Amino acid sequence: MRPESNREPRHLVIQLARLGDVVQTLPALDALRQAHPHRGLDLLCAAPLRAVAADSGLCDRVLPWDGSRWHAWATGWADHAGDMLREAEECIASLGALSYERVYTLNQHARSRLLAQLCADPIRRMADTETWEEQMRPWAQYLRQVARERGRNRIHLADAWCGMCGVRPQGRAPLCDPSAGNIPQDLAAIGEREGLWVALAVGAGETDRCVPTGMWSRWIQTFLSQRDDGHVVLIGSGQEREAGQAVLEGLPSLLQGHVWDCTGRTTLTQLMAVLRRCHWIVGADTGPLHVGTLVGVRALGFYFSRARVHETGPYGTGHWVYQSATTQQPNSWPVAESIALICDDRQSRSDDWTLWRSHMDEWGVWFDDGSASQASEATRAAMWQSLSPELCRSTAA
Amino acid sequence: MSTLHDNITRLAARHPDLAGSVTNAAGGVLTIEPARSGAPSARRAGRWIHSAYDPLREAQTWAAAHASACRPGETVVVAGVGLLYHVEALRRALSPEIELAVLVPDVDELQDALTARPIVDWCAQVHWLSGTAEDIAEQLRRSGRPLRCLSYVPAASANAEFHRVFEEALRRSLARQSGGQLTIALVGPIYGGSLPIARYVKRALETLGHTVQWIDHSVHAASYDVMSSLKDGRNRQVMQGRMANLLSQWTLASLAESPPDLVLSLAQAPLTLPMLEHLRKKKFLTAMWFVENYRHLTYWQQMAPGYEHWFVIQKDACLEAFRQAGARHVNYLPMAADPEVHRPLSLSEDERRLFGADLSFVGAGYANRRRLFPALLRHPWSFKLWGNEWEGAEDLRSVIQLNGARIDTATCMKVFNATTINLNLHSTTGEGLDPQADFVNPRTFELAACGAFQLVDHRSYLSECFTEREILSFRDFGDVPATVSQWLGDRAARQAMAHAARERVLAGHTYVHRMQDLLGQIGLSQPDRVGAILRGERQQEVLLTRCGDDQPLQALLKDCPSGQRIELKDVAARIRSKGPISALRREELMVLMLDEYRSETRDLA
Repeated sequence: MRPESNREPRHLVIQLARLGDVVQTLPALDALRQAHPHRGLDLLCAAPLRAVAADSGLCDRVLPWDGSRWHAWATGWADHAGDMLREAEECIASLGALSYERVYTLNQHARSRLLAQLCADPIRRMADTETWEEQMRPWAQYLRQVARERGRNRIHLADAWCGMCGVRPQGRAPLCDPSAGNIPQDLAAIGEREGLWVALAVGAGETDRCVPTGMWSRWIQTFLSQRDDGHVVLIGSGQEREAGQAVLEGLPSLLQGHVWDCTGRTTLTQLMAVLRRCHWIVGADTGPLHVGTLVGVRALGFYFSRARVHETGPYGTGHWVYQSATTQQPNSWPVAESIALICDDRQSRSDDWTLWRSHMDEWGVWFDDGSASQASEATRAAMWQSLSPELCRSTAA
Repeated sequence: MSTLHDNITRLAARHPDLAGSVTNAAGGVLTIEPARSGAPSARRAGRWIHSAYDPLREAQTWAAAHASACRPGETVVVAGVGLLYHVEALRRALSPEIELAVLVPDVDELQDALTARPIVDWCAQVHWLSGTAEDIAEQLRRSGRPLRCLSYVPAASANAEFHRVFEEALRRSLARQSGGQLTIALVGPIYGGSLPIARYVKRALETLGHTVQWIDHSVHAASYDVMSSLKDGRNRQVMQGRMANLLSQWTLASLAESPPDLVLSLAQAPLTLPMLEHLRKKKFLTAMWFVENYRHLTYWQQMAPGYEHWFVIQKDACLEAFRQAGARHVNYLPMAADPEVHRPLSLSEDERRLFGADLSFVGAGYANRRRLFPALLRHPWSFKLWGNEWEGAEDLRSVIQLNGARIDTATCMKVFNATTINLNLHSTTGEGLDPQADFVNPRTFELAACGAFQLVDHRSYLSECFTEREILSFRDFGDVPATVSQWLGDRAARQAMAHAARERVLAGHTYVHRMQDLLGQIGLSQPDRVGAILRGERQQEVLLTRCGDDQPLQALLKDCPSGQRIELKDVAARIRSKGPISALRREELMVLMLDEYRSETRDLA
């Protein structure tokens, strides 16, 4: 039985990054739960992303972190230092009686480290800090190196976070079944009709990672010309409404009846429910792709700019990624090829792109392009041996 | 009982002297007429000072626009009486912790107001300030409360001079009492006349105890100059424009390194309008001292909305033109001298021979100078012409020094000191004297600060800066030769006048004085930001007093050096220096967390 009381030993995972990162933290939560079945397990993440983890059932509590309030207190310090400090204290206190036996910080920035100190058991804090950091350091260094050098790493970020938490991946992708009750009325028909439903993430967090809206219009037009029973659901944040509108305007009006524009119209929970009703999610924005895989949808990603399949590809089995050969904005897009993959399960390469399929094994997720899977597995095993030797030994024993 | 009697009775409860004055006043300043809404409205000298349709609604709109900026603990001072609709509306819009005061420059106007309409419950919640502008300013300063000045322009404009004197007195008193240290980013130009002024400003701000981050663009002058060699004008313009953009971004990047309390630019500072708008979005406070003739250099028309505060060297039409162009705050701030640089020198005989003359002029060869100066040749006294851009002035060749090379400040000071009479002729693009001779150039103050005798062309603002016993001026260039002859023969009179002029500069026309005024003005319009810092409210001692019995905060503040301004980043830096975060107390961790968010607040990326 897991402890219900705050007095019992509990562990906390801190993940302050964006949507995709919170989803990619779930395998670590899954593994931690298996490794420490008698410890309570909580996650602290940005308040608006709470729903992702809350619906997963992989932790007991999700503690919401509201960065905008901290901004406000920092600004107000000059005139009301005492009040600001008090409110900050109350905010920390409102998260619960924080006295965690262990705190895992997945973000390598000062804020995360400070939060870890604030949430840790004050008696153990000083003694244990070094031990925790010692264990996480090789993985933290590995991730920094990957970010810096973009080397030939093959360990997925979600699995590297497992390593940081001192656990091995479970070899399965987390799944979550979101509640379906609160989809807006005019979107309720999504997924109801027969046919192939594809969710399409029109934007991306950063401009250089966005697919041109004209390309999306062409993709939809090609897809719908091949599948009479095809349906497309445009998804994205409020900031991507214009992009959604531009994609729609690029379509012949006869086809628009097959396209639902949900950009900027759903909460995170609603987005999960909408995705749950689709068969595929397609896009360049890794966040929605990860949310799609979390609700059991197959994902197909176009990875370019800084996005790399081996680090942040969709987690699980049977997902696809077209990886651009360069870091520049691609000149051509695998439109026909990706549609053939979705509609006919037909794999075909495209100029300037390589095609990767995801698999799961004891080291987590991996991607192959049909050329060197054994070598890849050996590389990952060696990497785990080098970064977490004790963990590998104890698992072998 | 009349409305006037009732109102005066209410006023007398807290302001018996003012009530007495109003009783004895003649009134008749305002013409009262009913507005369309039925409420009384008023005209002054034929101009409506309240709405002819609905003065109540108009006042509520005005009050709503200003109330949101007012902070608890402040005293809001309103200029403009009229029928007091705006005062009533503002009082109702403000929370009780905010004091409201009204300037009463004219008791006749107040009597008209008290006759026209009843002032009821809110009267007791307003301070009525009468007397001289200086006395009122002093009274407000002594209150020690942060002041925020608002103007109801339609009513205030009739007493513009009173309000100007009041604001100046207030600004000066704020400047005098200021004990706080600001961090000011000073953005200088790439080259030109405002570059040395940027240096004087820097020294003045540092003298006042502020920290200056000088963003010095003069280091890029050589590259900018190289582009001038491009023969194709369009290419030259494009390249120099791109470089200015790049330097603008460089400025932004420099500001992001350590966000200041104020970004102060000097004329020609390479900051583009989009960059200024970005700074404004990020809550940076910006100001520009435009030390140029606004009629000649006109790029301010595009830049006016970019800066929060403009300071200009001309008044009246200039101020109005800036406002029309979108400047939110624009104030007059004349030029000055830097006594560290502009000072009397002991020169050797050789130096006196080399740099001296009976009459000298230092400056560039503008058209009016080329046209007028030949009249100074062939006189019994010697004449020397220093400076550059005299190419083609053949008739002046015999008096041009150093082949018309640009001279540095040190040489310039030697010329000023070695010359018997320094001619100071303001530049203009025309052929004679400046037809719109208003502002006083820096040379006037610099010569005076050197204790050098000068003869200057008359300017309309000259009498505000110097008396006739301190500066000798001429209105007709034809009078110059005779004036020179006359004063060359009276050494004692020259020395007395030069000495008096120097004393005047030291007493009121240095860059230190100007920066006090500039910061005082910004402090007045930003009482909760710059004003609070200038009043010393961010000093460690004041913060300690304010935090009362908050023990954890007291402990944090006591760790910081006394006599210093303490901000969140300073407390955080102190905590960081203690060692690893695992050893820190809870409140210390909290401060570090707040500081992490602070550093992101004005992130300019």
